Amino acid sequence: MIGRSDLSREFWEHGRSASCPIYDMHGHMGPHESIYMPRGDTADMIHTMDECGVRMLVFSHHVALASSPKLGNHLAVQAVRRYPDRLRAYCSINPNYPEQAQVDLETFDEYADVYVGLKFLSDYHGIALTDEAYRPAWEFADERELLVLAHTWGGSRYDGEAVVREVAERYPHVKFLLGHSCHGEWDAAVQLARDFPHVYLELTAVFDDRGVLEKFVQGAGSERMLFGTDLPWFDPHHAVGALLSADISDEDRHNICHRNAERLLAPFVDGLEVT
Amino acid sequence: MLFFDCNVFYGLPTKRPLAPVATAEELLAEMDRAGVEKALVWHILQHGASPQIGNQVLADEIRPHPRLVGCWAVQPNQAREFPPPRALFRQMKAQRIAALRVFPSAHRFLANAVSMGDLFEQMVACRVPLFVSLRRGMDWPDIYALLAEFPDLTCAICDHGCWGMDRMFRPLLERYPNVYVDTAQYLLDGGIEALVADYGAGRLLFGSGFPESYLGGMMMALKHARIPDEAKEAIAGGNLARIIEEAQL
Repeated sequence: MIGRSDLSREFWEHGRSASCPIYDMHGHMGPHESIYMPRGDTADMIHTMDECGVRMLVFSHHVALASSPKLGNHLAVQAVRRYPDRLRAYCSINPNYPEQAQVDLETFDEYADVYVGLKFLSDYHGIALTDEAYRPAWEFADERELLVLAHTWGGSRYDGEAVVREVAERYPHVKFLLGHSCHGEWDAAVQLARDFPHVYLELTAVFDDRGVLEKFVQGAGSERMLFGTDLPWFDPHHAVGALLSADISDEDRHNICHRNAERLLAPFVDGLEVT
Repeated sequence: MLFFDCNVFYGLPTKRPLAPVATAEELLAEMDRAGVEKALVWHILQHGASPQIGNQVLADEIRPHPRLVGCWAVQPNQAREFPPPRALFRQMKAQRIAALRVFPSAHRFLANAVSMGDLFEQMVACRVPLFVSLRRGMDWPDIYALLAEFPDLTCAICDHGCWGMDRMFRPLLERYPNVYVDTAQYLLDGGIEALVADYGAGRLLFGSGFPESYLGGMMMALKHARIPDEAKEAIAGGNLARIIEEAQL
């Protein structure tokens, strides 16, 4: 068994916890060109979520992040409507195609049962979060106080610390989820969370870096951390094993796995219980 | 399930990590907390300072701890910096060292027949396992070239990365019967199950990547993988124990 806490025992024995459901705030869906993905389709992902105690996944479809946001966002809508109790989506914005982004924003409100916010993937799209091309989407999200999940990576000129800081200052009403927590620039990520109350540290790919969870809890507080796995990329059980291994409390684990996400999602998900 | 971790190091790296593990005793304390029974371990000095010094420090420090089995680092031996292969093997056996590692890029050499053919030939003859790391010192073309020259080498490919490297290592598993992959950074959802379905449980080794990764991450993934219990036991430790037992040092 990993560790000695009550949550450790429960997760180790059963693979999931009744008292500590998981809200995975960073998922994807479907196949991906650069990786063999054994469980990329929706039903397989739901199966994984069942086994790992993931109550809800918020995702963006791989196809939407590539060159076809129109098709990809449509696939995301279909998936959420098939599993309304388990899935919500981010509307993916690719600023290389502003005409499509404009349509996506104009029709956003038609999908109130699907979307909780927007997804930006600046490193891959090659446009900085501060670029003028993102402005309509940022303003849209800021006005509606939406969640924005942005891929952020240490040292990146598109979505590294300095860029993140600038848009965090500019758009204080979004709930700004730093996907991967400015990966590698851990001190900067902590400082961003301390400086901006609307910034959250999302943990996809962070779980594999020993010591970061403790650093974030100590520096930013577990109230600012969110569980994420890039599912169907990373096995949620791996993330849970890392959480149980880290020298943090079960209260911290509750915050990371569900409490923070419940508060963020409550305005968008009818009937969501905030514990 | 008994966990025998194939991919662990300790010691203080040149650049301070977030959570260093300085000594064998600290490593054992972490293993106790996680529930890892045994580990095949190397020392960071072998990589960052000198294989010779690091090898001896490792041997000395694990001596009181039977739960720790050593893995030494080697280099090309044209300058006779190491004993000849058979003498090296005898030293290994005497000091509970069960496997070898190479760090070609950091140590500036090529792990191939021209540079290290005599050693690799003897490793094949004596079934001494070689551990290589994509994180430290080997790239896929290097590994492909090495195995083309020594197709019977017992070779464990570690740290192959979180971007699901199936398209890189599956061809090697199919071509070379003594190739293994470890689980460190193999975070791919369903990856363990898919590998076991296609190649059986005998080709995967539990490796945590500690101290850079948490011990419990891949433990949890393996514990709850959708594979039979016997397969979990083999991956958790049985396969590594067999490989070590088969080596004729």
